[in-house]
Amino acid sequence: MRRRNPAAGLASRIGTGAVWLVVAADLLLVLWILLTSLRSGPDILHHAFGLPTSPQTDNYTTALDEGGFARAALNSLLTAGLSSVAAVVLAAPCAYALARRRSRTSSALTMTFAMGLGVPGQVLVVPLFVGLSRVSLTDSDLGLGLVYVGLAMPFTVFLLTGFFSGIPGVLEEAAVLDGAGPVRTFVQVVLPVARGGLVTAFLLQFITAWNETLFALVLTNSQGTITLPVALSSFVAAQQFNGLDFGTMFAGVCIILAPMIALFSWMGSRIIQGMTVGIGK
Amino acid sequence: MATTIDDPLRTGAPRGRSAPASRAGVGPLERQRRRMFWPFTAPALTVYAVLFIAPVGYALWTSLYKWDGMGAMDWRGPQNYILLFRDPRFRTSLVNTLELMVIGGTITFVLSFALTLVLREMRARLFARSVLFFPSLVNGMVFGIAAGFLFSPTGPVNQALKLFGVTTPPKWLSTDNLLPMVLGTLVWTATGYYTSIIMAAVDQIPDYLYEAAELDGAGPFQRFRHITLPCAWDVIAVCAVLWTVSSVKIFELILLYGGSTNAYPPVSSWNTAVYVYTEAFPQGTVPRLGTATAAAMASLVMVTLITVVLRRLLRREPVEY
Repeated sequence: MRRRNPAAGLASRIGTGAVWLVVAADLLLVLWILLTSLRSGPDILHHAFGLPTSPQTDNYTTALDEGGFARAALNSLLTAGLSSVAAVVLAAPCAYALARRRSRTSSALTMTFAMGLGVPGQVLVVPLFVGLSRVSLTDSDLGLGLVYVGLAMPFTVFLLTGFFSGIPGVLEEAAVLDGAGPVRTFVQVVLPVARGGLVTAFLLQFITAWNETLFALVLTNSQGTITLPVALSSFVAAQQFNGLDFGTMFAGVCIILAPMIALFSWMGSRIIQGMTVGIGK
Repeated sequence: MATTIDDPLRTGAPRGRSAPASRAGVGPLERQRRRMFWPFTAPALTVYAVLFIAPVGYALWTSLYKWDGMGAMDWRGPQNYILLFRDPRFRTSLVNTLELMVIGGTITFVLSFALTLVLREMRARLFARSVLFFPSLVNGMVFGIAAGFLFSPTGPVNQALKLFGVTTPPKWLSTDNLLPMVLGTLVWTATGYYTSIIMAAVDQIPDYLYEAAELDGAGPFQRFRHITLPCAWDVIAVCAVLWTVSSVKIFELILLYGGSTNAYPPVSSWNTAVYVYTEAFPQGTVPRLGTATAAAMASLVMVTLITVVLRRLLRREPVEY
């Protein structure tokens, strides 16, 4: 049906080809990292793109024990998980109040939170380090978690305010007329409807915290507190003394990568939607 | 400020239950929303004030002193900022930050638009989009490490090039080439994300606009120029701001690029975030928290200015459809 000139048809065919090439490259890169993590170090240096002849999990045992990745993974999971829950619990009522109340104060506060989106972490890193060392919370996952909760506020409030604005107020009206107080209305009427948005906010915050590197490097340094990005970077740094052990390094990369792959294949559309539609509003 | 606006209404109304509902049209719901406002916002606001706003203020204050983090703070006033701009390492970092922002941004946006155009008419577009999006969920260090292996002198890329007869491949990871490599990786990982945002906006544009344009004989580029671009303009403006802000936050990608085993990457690839990190948390020397926070404040001012200018430049009358 569509009339097309041949040049445009060719251009779109080249474009489609290029897109598939990039898609294939992305997939192959991940696949290569996964396969390489199952091969021994010398083997990798010999043939960069070989299949694991006899898949071995030695790299993972080394990474988890000697590299300290086991403890780091646990620290990452706890810090990212708990701080994201705390961030959503704090931000949800605030975002709800901001979305429902139309006053000058409300829009001023919304603006204040939104302005935080533009502040790069490098501005906060020195003050937060100094402040936390005053209360002996450096080199502690509690301190790091607190920092993540603070850093999460602008985006989580921003995201959830947009989300709550999209929920019609009819239900609340009915609840209030029935005599429910504000807390009960929020917890029993609004939150169940908003569950999707809260899950998205949690997921996005978890992903951010899981990958966060600058504050983790500064605020954690002993074996018991470091998170995965710190473990990975100190493993890479240690290689100048121990010699290059690519197998273990790629096993470490896989440990940091695997939960993201799992989350993305499980709830990919929700993640993409949260990170794109929420932004455009 | 707020209470002065709210109070007359609240105190002016009698305490009784029946009267206030009629005054200024305030129903029970509105009254409840007003009452819940501060209790609901206070916890988040407190955390935000203590862990976010106060540190920004503290950074500004520290940037006026000479301080190693432990001893006494020596007043320096604006001197730190002058020292900063005399420091060639900071100037390099600043130029690199701008380079990543402007050049990286331009390439990413051109590619994202091209991808949006292609993906629009492609089969399995959602699958392709998902794969392209995924790198934005990956820690930047992973790409740095992978690149360090792939592009090493005897690494797979050079071996592959040898098969094509390239015997003197470029020195990918040499000090001079690090920044372009970082830039390339950045574009590679960011394009999928911005494509997804723009695609989400483009999907909202009703089909009849395109059909009408096609009937009028508009080619694909004219359709893009006269329909897609104006309709998605708001989102594009937001994306530009988002890019500006996030390009300044880049840190771990540079820190570990090429799997560098030194404490820090070479200065030629630093951006302001790496500069702040090395000034404030150096290995073996005394921390210079004054210049570190001055550098951080300088980049904050830079982001703010660029954001304000961008918003001005990109402001258009919204298109209704």
